[in-house]
Amino acid sequence: MSGLHYNFDWSIAFRHPYSDWLLTGLKVTFLLFFATSILSLCLGTLLAVMRLTRIRLFSIVAGAYVEIVRSIPGLFWLLFFYFAFPEILPFGWGGRLNACIDYPIIAGIIALTINNSAYVSDIVRAGLLAVPAGQRESAVSCGLSRSQQYLHVLLPQAIRIMLPPLGTRMIHNFKNTSLCIAISAPELTWATQQIESLTFRGLEVTALATAFYCAVALILGYSFRKLEKRWQARIQNNASWITRQYGILD
Amino acid sequence: MNILMAAICLSLGLGGGVVLGLGRLSHRNYLHWPCAAWVEVTRAIPALLLVFWCAIFLPTVLGRNLPLFWGAVLGLSVHAAAYQAEIVRAGILAVPKGQVDAAIASGLTRMQTARLVVMPQAFRMMLPTFGSFAISLFKDTSIVYMVGIVDLLQAGVIVSQRQPNRMLAAYVCMALGFFVVCQIMTRSFGLLEKKSHTPQAQ
Repeated sequence: MSGLHYNFDWSIAFRHPYSDWLLTGLKVTFLLFFATSILSLCLGTLLAVMRLTRIRLFSIVAGAYVEIVRSIPGLFWLLFFYFAFPEILPFGWGGRLNACIDYPIIAGIIALTINNSAYVSDIVRAGLLAVPAGQRESAVSCGLSRSQQYLHVLLPQAIRIMLPPLGTRMIHNFKNTSLCIAISAPELTWATQQIESLTFRGLEVTALATAFYCAVALILGYSFRKLEKRWQARIQNNASWITRQYGILD
Repeated sequence: MNILMAAICLSLGLGGGVVLGLGRLSHRNYLHWPCAAWVEVTRAIPALLLVFWCAIFLPTVLGRNLPLFWGAVLGLSVHAAAYQAEIVRAGILAVPKGQVDAAIASGLTRMQTARLVVMPQAFRMMLPTFGSFAISLFKDTSIVYMVGIVDLLQAGVIVSQRQPNRMLAAYVCMALGFFVVCQIMTRSFGLLEKKSHTPQAQ
């Protein structure tokens, strides 16, 4: 095999216009990640609680939603929200959406939230179901209303149980933000593609972007594991407090 | 196209994954650390970036010409191998240690133990996780849309852009296509699990 047909130029990332694009890409990536994480956590918890209620309509709707979203790749939702959604909105709202300059980012947030919330709702539901049944019964017998049951008794214990898979899911969400280049949201991978198409020196920039994703994912994984260890002790303290407070015997 | 690609990547990834997983489990440090580092790093990179690397940048660096399809397959296989290494490792670790002790006490060599005792049980235990990963990989094959290969997703987008009146219908068809295949895969993996009598924790 002949030698490498490539002259590396590692300073390309720091030259004037390209470094701005990379920094904007970093900002947008983090924006996408945090927005989708928080939104999908809320939506996912809501869906999980809906699936567990006695009202048949809610549980069927939530169940169907989760099944459908889990069977479709995330890229589909991205394309749908960017291309198809403005078309089907009535009264010319679609035109206004398309003209909005940040629409790729907004569409990306919506699509990633929808995709992620299905997985999150499964994790939350598994966590809620894994709480020992005695806790729920004791809470009922103490006269707590349903929302009080969830807030004070079930959710705190469920959080400890569901934290590992939730952490994995969040890291996966972070990696999925790179999909948003399909709708030209100006995030990190998009910036590297732009630089590559202009300067043909994509290798160095992509190597930097890869190192960045890798570093953030590893840091996130590490911090989730530390968080798990801390929460274990803390939730056990809380649970024993609740037990003492309400006189619940498990 | 998606299904073909998913099948190829799954098989290649399984081979690579078994190698990496076994390497990660070995006691020899020169095998353990490179495999562990490779798996951790590859799992931390988005699949899209991996596909970009293998399909576009690797040929540039090596100076060879690589057809786009095989570059994408290589990228997804590397991604699959890293995840399957973890699955393989979890499966092998889940086999009760008593089995290995009993096998060695019965006089089997280490290779025979691995082949006759550990592998069948580990394989049955990793089947559910493997199934869900296969479905996830099938969905991820749609990523190759970004490097220019026409797959189901891309076809739907092209159709919807050529006929703007029927845009919603095109998207719904595309979604239905994915949905049907994924449901089929889910049900068949469930059946496969039942048939192979996956052992539950006792």
